[in-house]
Amino acid sequence: MPPKYHIETSQAPNRFPKITRSGIIAWEEGCLKCARCVKKDCIYQVYEKRDLDDRQMLDSLDSACMDCFRCVQNCPNRLIHKGLNPAYRALGDHYWTPEIISELWFQAESGRIPVSGAGYGGPFSGPGFDAMWTDMSEIVRPTRDGIHGREYISTTVDIGRKAMALEFGPGGEIVSRTPPVVEIPLPVIFDMLPWAPPGDNIPLSFLYGALALGTFAIVRQSAINPIIREFLPYAIIYVDGDPGSLHAQMLRSLKIIEVPDGEDPIALQKRFKSMHPELVVMIRLRLSPGARERSLYLIEQGAEVLHLVADEYGLEGGSDPLFIKERMKDVHLHLVDRGVRDQVTLIGGGGIAMAEHMAKLIICGADALSIDIPLLVSMECRVCRRCKEGISCPVGLDDVDPLWGSLRIRNLMAAWHSQLLEILGAMGIREARRLRGEMGRAMFFEDLEKEIFATMGKRG
Amino acid sequence: MDQKTAGLNIAIFFCRQLDANQDKNRRAIEKELGLRIRFFPLPCSGRIELLHLLRAIEAGADVVYLVACPEGACRYREGNLRAKRRIMFAQKLIEEIGLEGARIEMVNKTAEMPADIGAIAMELLARDAKVSISPVRSNAVASFIEK
Repeated sequence: MPPKYHIETSQAPNRFPKITRSGIIAWEEGCLKCARCVKKDCIYQVYEKRDLDDRQMLDSLDSACMDCFRCVQNCPNRLIHKGLNPAYRALGDHYWTPEIISELWFQAESGRIPVSGAGYGGPFSGPGFDAMWTDMSEIVRPTRDGIHGREYISTTVDIGRKAMALEFGPGGEIVSRTPPVVEIPLPVIFDMLPWAPPGDNIPLSFLYGALALGTFAIVRQSAINPIIREFLPYAIIYVDGDPGSLHAQMLRSLKIIEVPDGEDPIALQKRFKSMHPELVVMIRLRLSPGARERSLYLIEQGAEVLHLVADEYGLEGGSDPLFIKERMKDVHLHLVDRGVRDQVTLIGGGGIAMAEHMAKLIICGADALSIDIPLLVSMECRVCRRCKEGISCPVGLDDVDPLWGSLRIRNLMAAWHSQLLEILGAMGIREARRLRGEMGRAMFFEDLEKEIFATMGKRG
Repeated sequence: MDQKTAGLNIAIFFCRQLDANQDKNRRAIEKELGLRIRFFPLPCSGRIELLHLLRAIEAGADVVYLVACPEGACRYREGNLRAKRRIMFAQKLIEEIGLEGARIEMVNKTAEMPADIGAIAMELLARDAKVSISPVRSNAVASFIEK
């Protein structure tokens, strides 16, 4: 058996104090000057170690407090309060919620799975991925040694076109040509960011991260410079310029290249293949109502990998957009109906914000996923999108150290990998490849609602 | 000469209750002035502490403003009154070390002032510069300027 895929993690401290859910308000006026102040009694020494970050004026009190409420209860003049922090509520937006952002920060810092305590206090169902539940029927007991123990669960996936049958020569030798396939140990590639501060440090963090994890990061052709060029074996170049400027030597150092879905992406694929036959060509397709027919057409024309992308909220294009999980199901099932699904690799991207979204999108039919914003959030991004407007980043992402950034990405991916193993283990599935399209092992709120209430209200 | 043309670094602490859409409203001025202006939203002006004010001066701010709700209109009843006393104490402290007390100022919003924090900041910047570039700035830890 091959060695287990394991991601090494190490603590990667935040550069800035965290924005926490609640904060301490301690009035100084009215202090009774007790002989023994309750602040001195803090068992975490929060008040004694108090510091103020002068870049953001964030008080260490808020991030160091462990919410024991000892000081709040014991101050005789009730001068210490805890209140919800409005800065926390203002993080992100309706999709990239403060809870998601703070959990991504935690995972990137520690590499550990966030555990919220006993029980789940959230809503029963919600929009998007929250309307989908995975089958956890195989949880019959706690495993003796957990997900990192003796149970072998593979998260490896293949990227490339698959041969449907092998042809053998008279001597038993394989005569059919098998298309090139690239194996990645984690069903994740790093996508281009919808917005980011300028500079090379963020792409470099992604590339260092991809190198450490054994996966790939998509880099725009127009962004290639001598520094990025050093990392080409871990990069997927997205052709956003003149394809003629990509010479054969450069192509030979690549394993995968991505072309936009334009007038004739297959001609571009053939052109690159003629220069480097072992290259896997990915076609980037914006998700839309026409994606199923377009995918089928491209597969029939010989496409190897389709990268189906939604926007940063997981929505496709068009006036009445579907969420990525619905459209991915639609495309996958259409290709299954036409008997071509197994020939091609589908990669889904856009709106992937949490580890569970990985498993859910794979269940909806993706072979692998591309992620973008969570990688930026792992480096303390607050999803304020100031960089998009040309305003300086509040956490200075433009001068982040790429090695620190890659460590944070590695930690985040380790936490996501562990969660994927948990889900696969709980479903009794031993391979991420087997999870693809396993819709029978999941429940969809919309379907259940229809099933239960469809007949109600009908007369006769 | 107004504060904008005088090239002063401005730090503005303000109560979030003043402007529900503060994050969007201050972006235009932040884009225009870059790192010369820094906004620090507070849950209530009563959350301001001496440390905030002195640290801002130390980090290279030439003028520090605290924009608070009108007196008697604090959501937490007396937050802006407590803040006023702290501002006065901070002014006294910086005067003791030879800086002008006018470098720290509290502004209570009035009915005549605009509702959004970006416009309030523009009004503050349009005021005559009472002080020049802070002598602390050359020795500042440069965090205000760099970050």
